[in-house]
Amino acid sequence: MIKAISYYWRLFATGLCFAVFGLGAVFFGMVVFPIMRIVPGSPGAHRRRVRATFRVYMRSFVGLMSAVGVLSYAFDGAERLGRPGQIILANHPSLIDVVFLIGFTPQTTCIVKEALFHNPITRWPVSAAGYVSNTSTHSMVERASQALQDGENVIVFPEGTRTTPGQPMQFHRGAASIAVRAAAVVTPVFIRCVPTTLAKCMRWYQIPDRRVRISFQVGRDIDLAPFRQTPVPIGSRAFNTHLLKVFADELKVPAGNPTAGGDVFETETGTEAGAFRTGDNAGRFN
Amino acid sequence: MLSSEQILELLRSSFTELFEIDPARVVPAARLGEDLEIDSIDAVDLIERVRRVIGRKVSPEDFRSVRTVGDLVTAIERLQKG
Repeated sequence: MIKAISYYWRLFATGLCFAVFGLGAVFFGMVVFPIMRIVPGSPGAHRRRVRATFRVYMRSFVGLMSAVGVLSYAFDGAERLGRPGQIILANHPSLIDVVFLIGFTPQTTCIVKEALFHNPITRWPVSAAGYVSNTSTHSMVERASQALQDGENVIVFPEGTRTTPGQPMQFHRGAASIAVRAAAVVTPVFIRCVPTTLAKCMRWYQIPDRRVRISFQVGRDIDLAPFRQTPVPIGSRAFNTHLLKVFADELKVPAGNPTAGGDVFETETGTEAGAFRTGDNAGRFN
Repeated sequence: MLSSEQILELLRSSFTELFEIDPARVVPAARLGEDLEIDSIDAVDLIERVRRVIGRKVSPEDFRSVRTVGDLVTAIERLQKG
């Protein structure tokens, strides 16, 4: 009986959280951020204000999910996030990882999947916050590297998409390449989510039979020096392998084989029909 | 202005240095993706290298229809003509 009440309450609360999230994103994107744009200041100052506001919203949303009992969480080492030129690399078990990471990281630049720039709910906040799209590998690598060189911090999920439960972990090399190219500091964040919730193959109403426990552990910085002795393509391959091992060891999951990064010369408008492999989404990020 | 032979030679040394690919495999008919295992992330470095060699700005658009090493040579020739 109590179990059933708990289940239906959490189902209701989960739906409530989704609704609040969607309405909040639209409200911020269409009302708050446009109003903030009128406030005088340089584009940089404007973007910093948007990011600060967005962070408060994400942090409040974490508070909401916790308060209504959808999940409980721990965030260990948040004070080490948000340093200049820092690339923050995290595994991606669930849809809500990014909410926590943005909520706990000051002034972050996120690499998000292109679709979020077209989604009616998310398009306004992601563009106002100046996040980097994964449209083409070339512009993604260049823009994320530029952000790091400008002293911003960047969040990337090297898996490129949410973890597929039960599959060996795989990292696309884009994140490693950006790190070797431009990062001042590399910091891993290990995310554990038990039981699995809002994973890649799950719908919002497929909630687990008990409250979700999600924990974030900010790991020790990874030294890039050994991977900068060679040109970036070679260094980033070695770094990617190392990175995957760090995560697989810490999370006690099997590591998969490195994967290739998609079409050779892909462009913003896509490659010409037949010129290259198509339908290969490797190397993309969300 | 580099001749096509010089461009190919330059590509050979770049491929060796950047990707540790045996120069003997860098022939005009070699396909970049399938034969040489160059992916889109490598292409970022390759384009940077080309930019430096020919001394003018290039974009991924300039390489849209490039499939093989030979196509790449042709594309670079076209680019240096301006």
